Amino acid sequence: MNTNPDETKLALWLDDELTGEELATFEASFGNQPEHLAAREEVRRWRKMMREAMPASEEPPHAEFFSARIARSIREEVQAVESEPAAAQKKRLSWQGWWMPLAACAGMAFAFFAGQRVQPGPPEIDVAGAPKAIPVEPIVYTPDGDVAAEWFASSEASATVIVLSGVDAIPDAMDFSETAAVPTEREIDSTAGNEPEGIDPAGL
Amino acid sequence: MNKSSEDPSNIAQGPVGPVGADTSLEDPNDDFRLVARAQQGDLGAYDLLVTRHRGRIFAMIRNMIHQEADAWDLSQEVFIKAWNALPRFEAKARFSTWLYRIAHNVVYDWTRKRKLDSVGELNDEIFERERIDSSSFTTPSGGDSPDHTMAQGELRVKIEIALGKLSPEHREAVILKDVQGLSYKDIADVMECSIGTVMSRLYYARQKLQTLLKDEYESR
Repeated sequence: MNTNPDETKLALWLDDELTGEELATFEASFGNQPEHLAAREEVRRWRKMMREAMPASEEPPHAEFFSARIARSIREEVQAVESEPAAAQKKRLSWQGWWMPLAACAGMAFAFFAGQRVQPGPPEIDVAGAPKAIPVEPIVYTPDGDVAAEWFASSEASATVIVLSGVDAIPDAMDFSETAAVPTEREIDSTAGNEPEGIDPAGL
Repeated sequence: MNKSSEDPSNIAQGPVGPVGADTSLEDPNDDFRLVARAQQGDLGAYDLLVTRHRGRIFAMIRNMIHQEADAWDLSQEVFIKAWNALPRFEAKARFSTWLYRIAHNVVYDWTRKRKLDSVGELNDEIFERERIDSSSFTTPSGGDSPDHTMAQGELRVKIEIALGKLSPEHREAVILKDVQGLSYKDIADVMECSIGTVMSRLYYARQKLQTLLKDEYESR
């Protein structure tokens, strides 16, 4: 009597995968052997422990978002496929658009180069006889209507003089320093003020 | 677009896990009906499929890589890839098995990319990591007592640490068989290998896990 079952059949039987006629045939021959029964109980105990500790199904975190994200990705893919002919046409156009400026530049460079070779060169122009630039009279504005202003320019002296008529005489006592922005000594001498007050820099 | 013409009752049925939150395995015919509608472009039907299967796919990936945020992103990728591949789905396997297969490929692609990115950084712990994501779920569902719940949570952490010491192939075999409850044939389809290879991987993976979890396992 054969007491060694086929290993494949034995493994299937141990894991409760044999059914119907195969199960009946196997158990008729080997199903009463204590070592096989013990081995099957061992496998069942193992599977029970694993399945109790490790759930076969776990909802992914944020399950609704999980599904919604898949649906969105699929919709985007479907739309991309549907618009593929238009995209291909657009791609061709964009390719043309990329080459078009280059072709235009090359054409212009060629035309310029050819023109340089073919034309005899530009005609000579007598710059000495060219019309002079017309000097523009400056506009002098005085806010007071009783005051008239004249201006004189001297290119030799590199100076422009403005004469105001009708302005009251300026008193001699007027201190211009109060009205003019005269730089102070501190502003002129960049080293001024570095020494503490009350100390003579010369050590005197 | 394909329509399911094969009788779903002929498709191999794997053991159903104990967690009752997922109803997709209870009536695969619903999946086939929804798949047929989704193959016609019905996004609403596909949304229902996502809702039915997102929990299992997320759990499988999270148990594989032990990082919740990455598992979330990879699960998204699985469902988007599944949508794009839906016209080629032929109902020879259950929709859930097909999804697991896509998840398998997504996880392995991600792992390869991570290994390439980490070349020279002495980071070879993509799968072998022992540390557990601080945001790990440690509370199994159900109405158990707090003590029992806490014990289960602790056991889960120990199992996750032990799983981290297995090779990716062994870990995946255990997760698909002992956690997700897939049949040997479905696991072979998902992992693209023979049933014999699945049996071998599962045997050695269980042996090692039982050694690593000796205290917990023998006390039960």
